Amino acid sequence: MPGEALLALFEKVGFQRLYLAGYTGMKSSPYTEGALIPGEKPDLSRSHDTSRPALAPLVAKPVPTAPPASGGS
Amino acid sequence: MTTDLTDLEKTLIREKVKEKYAQAAVSPAGCFCYPTGIAGLRQLGYPEEWWQDFPPALLESFLGVGNPFSLGAPLPGETVLDIGCGAGFDVAVAARLVGPGGRVVGVDITPEMVTRAWELAALLPYRNLSFQVASAEDLPFPPQFFEVVTSNGIFNLVIDKEKAAQEILRVLKPGGRLLLADMLLVAPLPPDRANLIDNWYQ
Repeated sequence: MPGEALLALFEKVGFQRLYLAGYTGMKSSPYTEGALIPGEKPDLSRSHDTSRPALAPLVAKPVPTAPPASGGS
Repeated sequence: MTTDLTDLEKTLIREKVKEKYAQAAVSPAGCFCYPTGIAGLRQLGYPEEWWQDFPPALLESFLGVGNPFSLGAPLPGETVLDIGCGAGFDVAVAARLVGPGGRVVGVDITPEMVTRAWELAALLPYRNLSFQVASAEDLPFPPQFFEVVTSNGIFNLVIDKEKAAQEILRVLKPGGRLLLADMLLVAPLPPDRANLIDNWYQ
């Protein structure tokens, strides 16, 4: 299974903070390689805990761009 | 996500996987294309202070494809589940890390592996670990039981991956961590190899 599909599967069932941390160099074939993926079960009691980073939105919102700095050469 | 396998194909895959790992329980040499045993531990960066006093047979049994603890080691006192524990190397590491106030359980679908894990665990000084035969798709634990679930190289062998992921989520406590090392597909399979049942256990 490709990494993107595995991440999507775990996200679908409810995991958060999932990402592909990296490949390990262990290859069982020319088409497969070991990889590391962490994840976390959501803790709803901590949903207002600002000490932890907020979840990334599923769809990225447009980021306002700053006006160009004036006075530059 | 069970793909489109027939029940007969699912049974065949499970039996072939068990057969391969039953052989690996006796001697892993030659069963895998990547380094196993101490060579694998060194390549994957397991700190030697974690395993240098483990029995040689336990070190030789290591078949992992990554070091899941590099994602964040279990803390003293935590409860850890290792799915597809094999002969128990990662369980032993976790038992050391969580200490006597913690607990580690290893499960594997291959009875021979669980037997081997118990034999090797008897050579360790830890009494906070245990093993049992169980499938990732049907974990025999109550909800919210573990702080950490690890798995090293077996999730790709699970037929119903969505069910297994649901089971992992169920047994984890809120805020609990998944530390997964697994084989991923990194290049398209050639047409003559795609959809081969053999891909599951070679």
